[in-house]
Amino acid sequence: MNAIIFSALWGVILMLAGVFIKNKTSIRYLAIIGAALLILADVFELYHPETPIFHIDARNMLSFNVFGLEMNAIAFISTLLYFLLSSKDIEKVGSNVAEYFALIFFVLCGVAIVTSYSNLLMLFLGIEILSIPLFILTGSSKKNLKSNEASLKYFLMGAFSTGILLLGIAFLYGASKNGSFLIEDIGAGKNTPSPLMITGILLLAFSLSFKVSAAPFHFWTPDVYDGSPTVFTSFMATVVKGAAFVAFIRIFSNAFGDLQSKWELIIAIITASTLIIGNVTAVFQQSVKRMLAYSSIAQVGFMLFSILGLKFINTAQEGIALYITAYSLATVGLFAVLTKMNDHSLEGFNGLAKKQPLIAATSTVFLLSLAGIPLTAGFFAKYYMISAVMQLGKFYWLIILSLVCAAISVYYYFRIIQAMYFKEGAGTEVQFSELSPTFEALLVLVSAAIIVLGIKPDLLTNWLNLIYF
Amino acid sequence: MSPTQILFWSLSVLALFSAIMMVASKNPIHSVLWLIAVFFSISGHYILLNAQFLAIVNLIVYAGAIMVLFLFVIMLMNLNADTEPQKNKWLKIAGVIAGGALLLVFVAALKNADLKNQIAQVNGGNIGLISNLGLSLFHDYVIPFEISSILFLSAMVGAVVIGKRE
Repeated sequence: MNAIIFSALWGVILMLAGVFIKNKTSIRYLAIIGAALLILADVFELYHPETPIFHIDARNMLSFNVFGLEMNAIAFISTLLYFLLSSKDIEKVGSNVAEYFALIFFVLCGVAIVTSYSNLLMLFLGIEILSIPLFILTGSSKKNLKSNEASLKYFLMGAFSTGILLLGIAFLYGASKNGSFLIEDIGAGKNTPSPLMITGILLLAFSLSFKVSAAPFHFWTPDVYDGSPTVFTSFMATVVKGAAFVAFIRIFSNAFGDLQSKWELIIAIITASTLIIGNVTAVFQQSVKRMLAYSSIAQVGFMLFSILGLKFINTAQEGIALYITAYSLATVGLFAVLTKMNDHSLEGFNGLAKKQPLIAATSTVFLLSLAGIPLTAGFFAKYYMISAVMQLGKFYWLIILSLVCAAISVYYYFRIIQAMYFKEGAGTEVQFSELSPTFEALLVLVSAAIIVLGIKPDLLTNWLNLIYF
Repeated sequence: MSPTQILFWSLSVLALFSAIMMVASKNPIHSVLWLIAVFFSISGHYILLNAQFLAIVNLIVYAGAIMVLFLFVIMLMNLNADTEPQKNKWLKIAGVIAGGALLLVFVAALKNADLKNQIAQVNGGNIGLISNLGLSLFHDYVIPFEISSILFLSAMVGAVVIGKRE
């Protein structure tokens, strides 16, 4: 509850700050302080569940558990890093800086809702609060035609998928015994679901696949990620995607967990097509920004493994927490570098290692982690995911397919590394708009965190098994 | 057949027919008018469920306010049957296949549904009356009610951000 109320309040504060504070730098610091306080408020609730700051009887609408609160913390920490690395670039997008920050805090409120809902009504509200500010952030670069197109596309497709979500919720409501939106009431103890319920599960799976951009519902992703200002792409691809995934897991484990035999094949097919389409299409991209959009689709394929492995909830939860952390850290870092670059194509990276050795080295760590090379967090993330499905004892074809796809992904991630280290730059042109020592220090910090998690992943996974005294 | 059932079936037929006509008509103004017909027939269903407040709100907000805005926009942009863009033939075929696939999934899932004993509670029940609605809205559903304010606030901020001149 702390995180929900606090993020909403801070969003309002930032919105009003736009009226009273004209200095953009102070607004930026206000946002950074807000993100730090948000982490504190969330962690405080994690360790003192009985006495949170805001104690409100949620009447079965929300229920807070360790997993949800820690996923909140991961999202907020990524946001703080994102603010520290890229908030200067948010200033450059347009003149409404305070409003952009306010919208980001409203998104964080949505994040806190989708990690803790226990009612389908709250799922709907959370998903909407998560997406509506994003439609605006996508279109915030008003003079840029591509940004406008991306925003409109995202809005129309998003509205359509929300309609599908609502239809699914209506079917589930009809299928529940006494007409109830509570997710515990929906599927518990039912071994033979009614046809209404299967339809509801299908529609929910479609709509949530759209939100996390799993194939074949991924068509909006490349255009939207490519068209929107690069700073906001970074936020969309990390924090929001992770939160939508937690919503996906929460409903499939709490409501449909007993019916796994009915839906696991369809999720396996979605996973397989996401892996193939994401990885194969990424190979052909020339723009790094667009390639990262396809790579984010490919990464979703691996994250979907956690839904198949939900029977072994501990492995699945540990795996997804590690995966989202590894993926968010690497992507935030990589996009922060990309935002500062003048040329977003692959040639823009040529000869970077000679001019900016530090940036090239940290980018290499991020790319290695995304590819899942050992000693980086990405390796253990993929390892946990695959082991969750291995325990299931089925879908070995999917595991083999995922290994092949991971090998393909190495190709396109290493292309950037190759460009940085083994290709000659075009000469004297400036590759970066501006770099500060703090920026470089933060990149080193993020890559250090990735390596530490790659050596000792139990630092994070043990945290999930937190037991209250 | 009791009068309630006759009303229910005729309203359902009217709603479905208007919805199909809304999608099918070439002229955007006709589409909006058919959509208003859909809203009216759905309000009729609400009244059958003894939910007078929802029926009236549906008429005032959707059929009244939002549809008037729709009409304004369409008239300001001067859309008519001639400006309807010609769609690609392959796009149409792809659309038919995709829609047909979704229909197939629905039919496969719902063909065994047995709903004969689960019809709606018509002409009875008092959950839709305004006092009960208010009680449950501000008691059981107070959290979603308050949280939706964040949704509207962010939508408002967004409208200002998008609409403001730079």
